[in-house]
Amino acid sequence: MSHLVIDNVSKSFGELPVLRGCSLSVEKGSVLTLLGPSGCGKTTLLRTIAGFITPDAGRIVVQGNDISDMPPNRREVGYVFQNYALFPHLTIAANVAYGLKVRRTSRAEVARRVEDALRLVDLSTFADRYPAQLSGGQQQRVAIARSLVLEPSVLLLDEPFNALDARLRLTMQIELRKLIQRVGITSIFVTHDQMEAMTLSDTVAVMHKGVVEQFGSPLDIYDRPRTAYVANFIGRANVIPGEVANGHFDDPARIATQAPAGPAVLVVRPENVTVEPATAGDAAPGWPGTVTFTTALGPTVEYEIDCGWPEPLRAIAPRSPGRPQAGPGDRVVARIADPAAAVVLRRQDGAHVH
Amino acid sequence: MRLASGVVWADRIGMAALAIVTGFSILLLVAPSLIVLAVSIEPRGYISFPPSGFSLRWYEAVFANRQLTDSVLVSLRVAFSVMLVCLALGVPAAFASVRGAFAGKGALNAFLLSPQMMPGMVIGIASLFFGAYFAFRASDAMLILSLSVFCLPFVIRIAMARLAGLDPRLDEASANLGAGKLETFARVTVPQLAPALLAAGAFTFIEAFDNVTVALFTSDVRARPLPVELYYLVQFDSSPVIAAISSLEIGLSFLAMLLIARTVGLDRLGR
Repeated sequence: MSHLVIDNVSKSFGELPVLRGCSLSVEKGSVLTLLGPSGCGKTTLLRTIAGFITPDAGRIVVQGNDISDMPPNRREVGYVFQNYALFPHLTIAANVAYGLKVRRTSRAEVARRVEDALRLVDLSTFADRYPAQLSGGQQQRVAIARSLVLEPSVLLLDEPFNALDARLRLTMQIELRKLIQRVGITSIFVTHDQMEAMTLSDTVAVMHKGVVEQFGSPLDIYDRPRTAYVANFIGRANVIPGEVANGHFDDPARIATQAPAGPAVLVVRPENVTVEPATAGDAAPGWPGTVTFTTALGPTVEYEIDCGWPEPLRAIAPRSPGRPQAGPGDRVVARIADPAAAVVLRRQDGAHVH
Repeated sequence: MRLASGVVWADRIGMAALAIVTGFSILLLVAPSLIVLAVSIEPRGYISFPPSGFSLRWYEAVFANRQLTDSVLVSLRVAFSVMLVCLALGVPAAFASVRGAFAGKGALNAFLLSPQMMPGMVIGIASLFFGAYFAFRASDAMLILSLSVFCLPFVIRIAMARLAGLDPRLDEASANLGAGKLETFARVTVPQLAPALLAAGAFTFIEAFDNVTVALFTSDVRARPLPVELYYLVQFDSSPVIAAISSLEIGLSFLAMLLIARTVGLDRLGR
């Protein structure tokens, strides 16, 4: 049974629906990321799990117990705030001791557990300082220690790396992932950064307009996006409009699909597109076009190809010295390298199509 | 380089003007207190400046005058009570104004802050009529009540300013760590509010201690607070005893400020 289950949770602020029937589950000790742009409802969902927001409908179940109606101070759920929300009038040690003191833990045990928690995040020497005297990365570690010292059953983190500069962010992501593995705590992150989601999580829930659009492992979502929106949010994708008839999509090659007949889109990752010079008498199916832009990135080269569509076709090809590569103005033919890795989706009204 | 030297001269004149204005302002602020201090040590029986000698007889006279020492006690008692009443009513009111969400919040806020727009005299007279209507005599209780109405807006304003600056996520963090609402208030809100409470308390105490305009109408005739007592005293007596009392008050204020500066720092009072 899943450690934490979010069952059909909905919430509106006034007339505005923010969460629309969100359902998710997290296995014990695994890391879930709620990924989406700002306003998609991901932070609202996280705050609902912590009990700061009461859902209009749906249940939140931890280890088989429905905690939906429990006040936030009774839920054994740790929350790391985006701005860390450390108590400015308390020392680092007193911040970490806060939850233990509230629980009337004995003085000796408080001292021991605070010391352990500070050692865990490598801040033992900072015990007597105040939050304002610490850097952003250190403050974040205090916030995590303050939650972990209570041994919560779930740790929630609201965009924990947002306030950190780019270089520190990468280090902290790796450090935090190691820490979570070491402690073995079930964790839920909120982020709008898909790279962060790929780095940190066992499972990702892509959210869009209050709905969980897709829920699965990062690679599964990358390889088999269920909507054009997800395809574009996780990595980059070419989304090519077309038609499904008789169980296949016919542009440029025949691709078998389970999708129903009618308007459809073909989702092809740039690395699944090959680019060859156009040659007379080449009868193999492909998209003829003109290279408009190239970016060489050392190991790879990226092409933008005008195939007569509103958006250029993107292709990424391996690059090696001495091998000729197409340049702007060259006539080329683009082809799908592995049709099995291309995804055919039914075209929805208002879907995000390039 | 004529232009450059012109600029330098303009600068120097500007600096000199600034120094003169600053010096004059400081003089205006400090001189009355210094003159009062000087007059209080005058050995002769009337007010004169500069003093003709040095004597502490007027200080002795202050402490020998039962009416004066009693009025100091009345003022201290009243000021302390007003401070407590204003903090007890003002802090929850500020909470409701900043954190609350209810119909008529704006109207309530305007109502609570309205005494600030009224002259103290109006509040004094209004309290007197109000008391007469319900057959309350002018008394300590009436004085405390009327001064509380007068001082409440200050406490609410100071507490509101500080509360608005507090991060509501700290309350959520406290709840998340297991604390109930009351415990969060005691462990998180109050410690952060402390400088504002101290400022509001000190301000209310001082205002209630030396207010005349309200107290003139609502104080008990037989137990007058110090400012009212002094007001009557200067009408019949022009001895330096008034200067001696004023000097004592100056000393007291100075001590209070020093105490606050040493404990929390004066700069934190404003926040």
